[in-house]
Amino acid sequence: MKECKVKVLENAPLAAGIYRMRFSIPDGVEGLQCGKFVNISVGDGAHLLRRPIALCEYDEKSATICYQLKGEGTRAMGRAQAGDELTCVLPLGNGFHIEEGQRRVALIGGGVGVFPMVSVLHAYKGAHKDFYSYIGFRSKNAVCMENAFASQSIRSVIVTDDGSYGYQGNAVQAFLDDYANAAPDVILACGPTPMLRALKAGLDENNIAVPCYVSLEERMGCGIGACLVCTCKKLDGSRARVCKDGPVFPIGEVDLHG
Amino acid sequence: MADLRVNICGVELKNPVIAASGTFGFGREFDEIYDISCLGGVSTKGLTLEPRPGNPTPRIAEGHGVILNAVGLQNPGVEAFIRDDLAFLKGKGVAVIANVAGKTIEDYAAICARLDGLVDMIELNISCPNVRCGGMAFGIRPENVEEVTRAAKGALKRTPLMVKLSPNVENIAVNALAAQSGGADCVSLINTLTGMVVDIERRRPLIANNTGGVSGAGIRPIAVRMTYEVCRAVSIPVIGMGGITRAADALEFIIAGAAAVQVGTANFTDTLAMPKIVEGLNEWMDAHGVKNIEEIRGTLVLNG
Repeated sequence: MKECKVKVLENAPLAAGIYRMRFSIPDGVEGLQCGKFVNISVGDGAHLLRRPIALCEYDEKSATICYQLKGEGTRAMGRAQAGDELTCVLPLGNGFHIEEGQRRVALIGGGVGVFPMVSVLHAYKGAHKDFYSYIGFRSKNAVCMENAFASQSIRSVIVTDDGSYGYQGNAVQAFLDDYANAAPDVILACGPTPMLRALKAGLDENNIAVPCYVSLEERMGCGIGACLVCTCKKLDGSRARVCKDGPVFPIGEVDLHG
Repeated sequence: MADLRVNICGVELKNPVIAASGTFGFGREFDEIYDISCLGGVSTKGLTLEPRPGNPTPRIAEGHGVILNAVGLQNPGVEAFIRDDLAFLKGKGVAVIANVAGKTIEDYAAICARLDGLVDMIELNISCPNVRCGGMAFGIRPENVEEVTRAAKGALKRTPLMVKLSPNVENIAVNALAAQSGGADCVSLINTLTGMVVDIERRRPLIANNTGGVSGAGIRPIAVRMTYEVCRAVSIPVIGMGGITRAADALEFIIAGAAAVQVGTANFTDTLAMPKIVEGLNEWMDAHGVKNIEEIRGTLVLNG
């Protein structure tokens, strides 16, 4: 992880309430990996906290993050122009890792949780993995990245909460409905906590013991593991730092009700 | 190259910039980004006798130019600190300041006794809820400040005692004097101001704990004023903090009388904030022909 200034290359709406920002990466930044994140300033002196945002796509020279305009901070970020410089620390967190023997991979993403899933597709392009993707949005105007999933997945299912696009339903149900077909060796998921809870319940009810990793979201302070602002409860009673020990955890280790 | 060294109660710091408790852990994570041996000191994450899980999340929120936190003293306990982190921090050549908290006066005395002689300084965190005083904090009433300070000091034979003062009080200078009477070797201020941020859609406070401690650039004028008032009142060294983000901010505190400063929230905004402050102090002093910190400390002249 490295403290640096990044230059905004593009920053534009991607879907309803979602912006996509691409920025250049200075020399010397190493270790970018799917499921890792950046802690980036919103470029506005009034907001002292950086925003932790998952990597979406990246190469040696640039990275893309997609973020939801939620409050004043992310709205300020939405106003950043190409050429502006923002400070950030990157890359952060542990990220997703697919083992060699895990060929069939189920990706489950909901809302802004779809973007870390895109990072997985991006990272394992050409790695001979069979992806089965189940991606959920609130409604049609929030749908994005459809091609990224469709072009790299054996099967890609898009669902919306209101049925205005794709199937009506949620990504977890779409995954469970298609489970026998996908028969995954590993499951990777990111989305709102209720979605992850539903996934845990679905896996338990169907006696699915396939390794499953989830990426958690939490409000953060330092983003590097020092301040203990973003800790989550583990089922063994201890607490883990979402920013440093996570954000990716085996679903069986974290207390999604905590 | 100015001489940035300061001596506080017999402890020599290579410069007056200290990491504030709670923002810096035990230094290891920031040391992955830069060599923290460039700092004057590190005040550790608040330690208690037993490990504490802290508060539910969310533990942080933002205001305009400020943040609020309510971590609730999550920490691995003093024994884990001594076993796992103390040697690392000492090896960095920074002044190691153990920030300690307790539920009772006996807790404070016990944790001070455990750390006596092991660290360079103890910083007494007295803004925790106090069950013995009807829910008020040890840091609110001067008589409680004096009592807990005396108990802590009584348990310390070798290590100087710094008492961290709460700003949520009637008169911080009176509390500083109470700490001095109780035997404090120095005081630090200000701890966070209690605040609340409301999510208007949900009509609930944003922080799970409802209230949190306000810190960051926006509180600096309050912190400078209080530092000045305390410096004028006491005869022991004063360590100033509250909203310091750059060398110029640190200089305000030093000119107001602070012997050293602590930097907290700025570490979140820029992980390199503290080395930049050290460098900036040196540059400012060179540019102004100031050879050492003592030359400018407490040189504030009030307007007639």
